[in-house]
Amino acid sequence: MEAKGWISGDESAKEMLGRVLSRARPFLLLPPLHRVPLRPRNVLEIVGPSPSAKTHLLIQAALTCVLPVDWNGVHYGGFDGFAIFIDLDCRFDIFRFSHLLKLRLASGSVSEIDREQNNNTIKRSSIAYDEELYTLCMRRFSYVRCYDSFEFLATLKTLHYRIQKEKAYGNCVHMLLIDSIGAFHWIDRASTCLPLRGSNRKSHSVQTVLETVVQEIRKLLLLHPMLAIATKATLFGNRAMNEAKWNLRKPDTSYSQIGGITALQLPYREYMPSAWQTFVTHRILLRPSDDHLAVSDDQNHSVYFSEWLLPSLSFLDKFIVKEAGVFLVA
Amino acid sequence: MAPLKSLEQEYPILDSNFQSFCASHDIFSVEDLLLHDLYVLAAFAEQESSSERLKQGIAQVLSIIDGQHQPWLNGIELLEDAQRNKHVLSTGCEGIDLLLHGGLRVGQLTELVGPSSSGKTQVCLLAASNVAKKHIGSVVYLDTGNSFSPQRVTQFICQHSDPAIDQAKHRTLQKVMNNISCKSVFDIFTMFDVLHQLEFNLRSQMQGGDCKVQLLIVDSVSSMVTPILGGSGSQGHALMISAGYLLKKLAHEHNIAVLVTNHTVGGDGGISKPALGESWKSIPHVRLLLSCDHGGSICNVSILKHPSMAVGKAARFMIHN
Repeated sequence: MEAKGWISGDESAKEMLGRVLSRARPFLLLPPLHRVPLRPRNVLEIVGPSPSAKTHLLIQAALTCVLPVDWNGVHYGGFDGFAIFIDLDCRFDIFRFSHLLKLRLASGSVSEIDREQNNNTIKRSSIAYDEELYTLCMRRFSYVRCYDSFEFLATLKTLHYRIQKEKAYGNCVHMLLIDSIGAFHWIDRASTCLPLRGSNRKSHSVQTVLETVVQEIRKLLLLHPMLAIATKATLFGNRAMNEAKWNLRKPDTSYSQIGGITALQLPYREYMPSAWQTFVTHRILLRPSDDHLAVSDDQNHSVYFSEWLLPSLSFLDKFIVKEAGVFLVA
Repeated sequence: MAPLKSLEQEYPILDSNFQSFCASHDIFSVEDLLLHDLYVLAAFAEQESSSERLKQGIAQVLSIIDGQHQPWLNGIELLEDAQRNKHVLSTGCEGIDLLLHGGLRVGQLTELVGPSSSGKTQVCLLAASNVAKKHIGSVVYLDTGNSFSPQRVTQFICQHSDPAIDQAKHRTLQKVMNNISCKSVFDIFTMFDVLHQLEFNLRSQMQGGDCKVQLLIVDSVSSMVTPILGGSGSQGHALMISAGYLLKKLAHEHNIAVLVTNHTVGGDGGISKPALGESWKSIPHVRLLLSCDHGGSICNVSILKHPSMAVGKAARFMIHN
């Protein structure tokens, strides 16, 4: 009897695919994040110098997350869930978020906003939007700010209970957004102190903090399938330019070892420990270009490049940041 | 972070048995607990004889940790707080106010970048006198280069007032000048002292009524940070970032507008760029570039970074004598 149970199986392949595919719907985010479909439990890292519109991409992703799919006959195409925003940079502007949400609600879909914007500038007072939906979406946005690594770790450790509480009300969390994972890098680096009493005691350093962060986020993603997006600022400037400077100043030092690196030649210097680097499943690089796009007579928007590093796609997207959000430039 | 021993008084469940269990896993303080996996610890606790009490202790510690971070807010609560507390302070300079849609925003750190004698200190003095006079709030001015000039502030204040009544004018002037508190700081450690003292005062609410601090000016932050940057250690950068976060915390938690100045250094190709490097770029909310025509009184200000405005937007302004 028992042996027969082993052979007969739990479910057919069709049932299994039906179960898995209905849950793991790939997220298709707005441009420039649209090239690669992202699934829950993916970890996307948006890396770029300051300023390169990284926080704007996070805001756009958060808006897409909190909007419903349909409401009162209008199709918004959102993911209808909660978004959790951990602000380590402490520079989040709620007015900008609220304004972008109102513009999205007023026009229903993104393409309409673009057309309208090209015709005239949108006055803040004259936007007509659904109040009830606006309040619902704003309530789905959970925000916390952290002023140092300890507060960040404390937040991550207690996040599981918070998400469980929301689930009890029937709300599910679809996104975890972290603004600037490298915010406390210098402070943690300088706190690496002498080994403490007890040789196995974990000392506070960049390594241990980030290992714990990765551990906690990994556990969270296992228990609650969501998409994690983190921004990272490049702290060390443009690598190619720095190397050129160093080469000029010290001509006798051989930099052959730098040229000999056959691994991925990143245009920036990676400072995160390997625990974080291996945890990230997708990576996109943003950088400002020298071009400016004249949208109207008085407005000159700077054009940014976006390049997918992981998976490595070979072309660049160009985008600008207008009043209504991020838009691709052909 | 508190050692576990000191928490025993307030939370009797964290008794000596719990402390010795934690010590066997090299955990002596709350900080160590933050770096440890608590589920693994609970699994170890299962194997002990007093597992129930130990697990209750871990749950208690988790609730202590829950009080260690800032409160969670949703979008509506954030917006309400911003609309109620984070208003805009006019700088007294029309060109800058127009560019920034009103002026310096409370809760944000604004940075003025410019070469020497581009008008940064003048703008700071003008903003200080304007806030002290019009917004009935007090100003804290941290001066690193002995550039604070009470005569200039008096000039700005008395500019628009009625020259007729001398007695009343003198009293108003005294009251306004009393609202500006100027401290000389010459190194970063003194600045930390002053800022921590200010934070302590604000938290214990020793300042009452209409003398609430509205504006904090640091002129200039780069002259304090530049001497400690550089070299192979990371201490300089860590101090700079800590100072930046302390300023941002003061701005947000106590509803103050913070204005700092920074100078420029030579960059690639001879184009000047702001000092303090890449890491500082993520600290200020708003970065403005000032430049002044030689000999003229007309200055240019342009946006280097702003949370909701395009980079490169510029305006001209003039500071009257």
